[in-house]
Amino acid sequence: MVDAFNASPELLARQVSFHSMELPAAPTSDLEWILVEEGFTLAREHDLESLFAIGNGYAGSRGSLSEGSALSAPATFLAGVFDSQPGSLPGLVATADWSRLSAIIDGQPLRLNQGDDLEHRRILDMRQAILWREWRHQDEAGRIMRLRTLRFASLADRHLLVQCVTVTPENFGGRAFIDAALIGPKVEVTASGTTVAMAVAHRVVNHAGRWTPSAELIAGRESLELRLGETCRLDRIVALHTSRDTVNPRETADRHVERAIEDLTRVVDEHRGAWLARWKASDLRIEGDLAAQRALRFAIYHLSSAANPRDDRVSIGARGLSGTAYKGHVFWDTDIFMLPFFIFAYPEAARALVMYRYHTLPAARAKAAGFGYRGAFFAWESADSGEDVTPRFVAAPDGQVIPILTGELEQHITSDVAFGAWNYWQATGDDRFLVEAGTEILIETARFWASRAKREGDGLYHIRGVIGPDEYHETVDDNAYTNGMAQWNLEIATEIANFVAQRWPGPWQALSRRLAIEPEEPRRWQQVARDFYTGFDQRTGLFEQFRGYFGLEEIDLTAFGPRTAPMDVLLGRERIQKSKVIKQPDVVMLIYLLWDRIPPEVRKANFDYYEPRCGHGSSLSPAIHALVAARLGYTAMAERYFRQASEIDLSDNMGSAAGGIHAAALGGLWQAAVLGFAGLQFEGGRPEYHANLPPSWRSLSTRFQWHGQWHEFALPEEAGTGKRRIIHE
Amino acid sequence: MNNPVILVPFDGSKQALAALPVAKALSEIEQADLHILHVGERVMAAKELRNRLGDQSSILDCLTIDVRAGTPAIKILQVAEGIKPKMVVLCRHSGTEPGKMLGRTAMKVLRDARCPVVLVPPERGTRSWHLQRVMVPHDGTPTTSAALLPAAELAKDGDAQLLVVHVTGIKAAPTKEPGSLTTPRYVDQPQHEWPSWAEEFVKRLACICPLGHLQVRMLLAHGDTASEILRLAERQSADLIVLAWRGKWEPPRAATIKGILREAYCPVMVVRT
Repeated sequence: MVDAFNASPELLARQVSFHSMELPAAPTSDLEWILVEEGFTLAREHDLESLFAIGNGYAGSRGSLSEGSALSAPATFLAGVFDSQPGSLPGLVATADWSRLSAIIDGQPLRLNQGDDLEHRRILDMRQAILWREWRHQDEAGRIMRLRTLRFASLADRHLLVQCVTVTPENFGGRAFIDAALIGPKVEVTASGTTVAMAVAHRVVNHAGRWTPSAELIAGRESLELRLGETCRLDRIVALHTSRDTVNPRETADRHVERAIEDLTRVVDEHRGAWLARWKASDLRIEGDLAAQRALRFAIYHLSSAANPRDDRVSIGARGLSGTAYKGHVFWDTDIFMLPFFIFAYPEAARALVMYRYHTLPAARAKAAGFGYRGAFFAWESADSGEDVTPRFVAAPDGQVIPILTGELEQHITSDVAFGAWNYWQATGDDRFLVEAGTEILIETARFWASRAKREGDGLYHIRGVIGPDEYHETVDDNAYTNGMAQWNLEIATEIANFVAQRWPGPWQALSRRLAIEPEEPRRWQQVARDFYTGFDQRTGLFEQFRGYFGLEEIDLTAFGPRTAPMDVLLGRERIQKSKVIKQPDVVMLIYLLWDRIPPEVRKANFDYYEPRCGHGSSLSPAIHALVAARLGYTAMAERYFRQASEIDLSDNMGSAAGGIHAAALGGLWQAAVLGFAGLQFEGGRPEYHANLPPSWRSLSTRFQWHGQWHEFALPEEAGTGKRRIIHE
Repeated sequence: MNNPVILVPFDGSKQALAALPVAKALSEIEQADLHILHVGERVMAAKELRNRLGDQSSILDCLTIDVRAGTPAIKILQVAEGIKPKMVVLCRHSGTEPGKMLGRTAMKVLRDARCPVVLVPPERGTRSWHLQRVMVPHDGTPTTSAALLPAAELAKDGDAQLLVVHVTGIKAAPTKEPGSLTTPRYVDQPQHEWPSWAEEFVKRLACICPLGHLQVRMLLAHGDTASEILRLAERQSADLIVLAWRGKWEPPRAATIKGILREAYCPVMVVRT
């Protein structure tokens, strides 16, 4: 119960001066580093929970309102902790809701939209990786309360989640009940047998000093005295441990949280320090375009929040650790779209991601064997074990039951994994990875293609019955991307096998014995690669996306704009399969990945042909188009695609972020800026820039790591402001 | 506490009888009193009104009959202003205006009434009517969710299924209203995207328009909005279509509501946003 004052609430509010018991850090004020949501729009809550998610690669927690709302879906996920009930596919487990906190004053719970919200603001502070909230609320009795909160997932100590709340009764004093009880079990065992333990500790800092509140107070069974104008602070630290990382997660979590709450300031400072270091390595600065700058930092923030270099048995799902959509499943998104950022800006995290694929080789071998092939056939959708967890059908909202063939037919995932591993080694020079894991990935994937491709009457090797990146066309023959990447996979495996055999003969012999590699096997891969059908037409310079594509119906996509729906919805499945409309870059993707192998005039001819036929039905599409357009000098088009890519999560009227952020689109955005507009490429083992910046970008600067050496550049160089240097540290 | 009231204007024509079974069923669902209002140039005697109602005349035994003289639309709106009905139920047009999408009276009532208006096609005659499936076309905006509250309440009270329909089409610019959810622009993997989208659509509706334990089904269609709603209504055997309307009637506005009112085989409830 609260003793209400008789004086005018407004007058009292003006007279209040704030007490010094403030939060242990302050928000960043620079607009380039923050995303701000003013006010409150209930229907946006799921979007905001994703955008404002905090994470450190071990745990990720949605940015839900602590007191809840009619559309709050708080969830905290732990990387690699999946639940697989019998008959259902594994999905990331949502642990107990640790962030719940609400106040009850005079029987009335403090809620948005109940009473008068004088101020309400949420700030995602990307620089410090802290979610801030400021709320000034007046209830129906005229009581004005100011609340400030911070929340973060520690990057310095990945097992810790931290929340601090200050409460200042501006014009009243009295007692309040606090409901901060954990929602859900402190210890739970998933169906797959993983024990998850959560330990919580609280501290109150107020006029009485710094003290540990009783369980009764935290559970709202006792009340807390609030003094007029005096700030009271509640700190909460949560420690999370699982049987994946310790023998006794419960005891470990209990001990951990007890230590942490004793030194909260250190926990906060170390987290901020860890992120400052992260930004020092990976920040990308754009001058002249605030929206682009913020979008790129948003991308880097969420990608970095999803990665954990210390755990190479987990990868990053399509929505990171920010939402339930896609169940935490891992796709080619990670190897092709996200991995380049990590390779160049966070190589230790990149290593963990490629090692995750290495650890899933047994499941990939089993999948290949199940289909009657040799080597490794990676899962289109992968969870913890690497077993394919792609659903077999979906009931679409138009009433159709759609069979899902990607798990069986989208076989390019196998060369995508190989490409990611090779790309990592190329950029880092991590020979230990190559010898201990990378070579095995390349060999097993090459074996898959060598058994998958069949020589036909024309003397060439063909792959029939697949789905390429353009998923609008299913069960096609000789998909250009699949064939092109398979050919690359076979060639690279041959080269690497020979290279490793010469350079590290001992480990090579051991690997040869273990994998039963016949001496002539690499030569056979080379031969298959040489005789591969590519669909390339010398006369036109075009790759045919798949056999028969050029004979399909032409559809002018400009006649459908503006549109909010993907083309397969508008045209229907049957018609789109008979048309040239594609979902996302397929031949263009091949050109991008194998850029150095394809002559400039062929790159241009194919982009000019396929770009107008792309419906961009995938969030992976706009960024890659931005990248290739920038490289080809189509700057205005590149900028348009870049904006489109940056709005996938950040637009406030699409609702597309509700189930989590689009991690691959964010990775693509980073690639579009660095590998597209900056034109970073490696020629003769040296970094070179072919910058083609949008006119509004006065400069672009960043760092990247190449063979263990940090490089820094600022573009454009010709303006006299540019620079490039190697950083010795 | 007084029961809520359903106002049923009746001009005495054979076509107007179509509104009565619908009104009667709605009054049972809502536990509302029926208030039949006859407005004519002259006051009609009760016996004559009973004769006009024919086999629906038993309805007179349990309702308020209000007979007034004057211009029908003006009187209906005046009465509505006074009794604050839960809804107005009337036939789309009378016998004097066959073939019209909406008669003059229905049009005026639709545009100026402050409560939901249920327009009944005269073609359905006096067959009994039951509410089992309520179809609510939804453009994905929070404004529409708020407007659909009466439809959700009605479906809950009638233990009916709620069919939420979102229609997408070409040349459709994205809405600017924050918190809107339209057809996903990107469907990366349909096996994940569609279930998530449908669930999200219903959750966003429910957070503004509580659905309780209502059985809800989400449907997506593409093409001309009115045609698709009518097609789905027929295919799903909807008993009532509920339209949220922003109140603009002049072209190019209101194409959907006009198309549906012109062709709907079932009653249409119009609620103002």
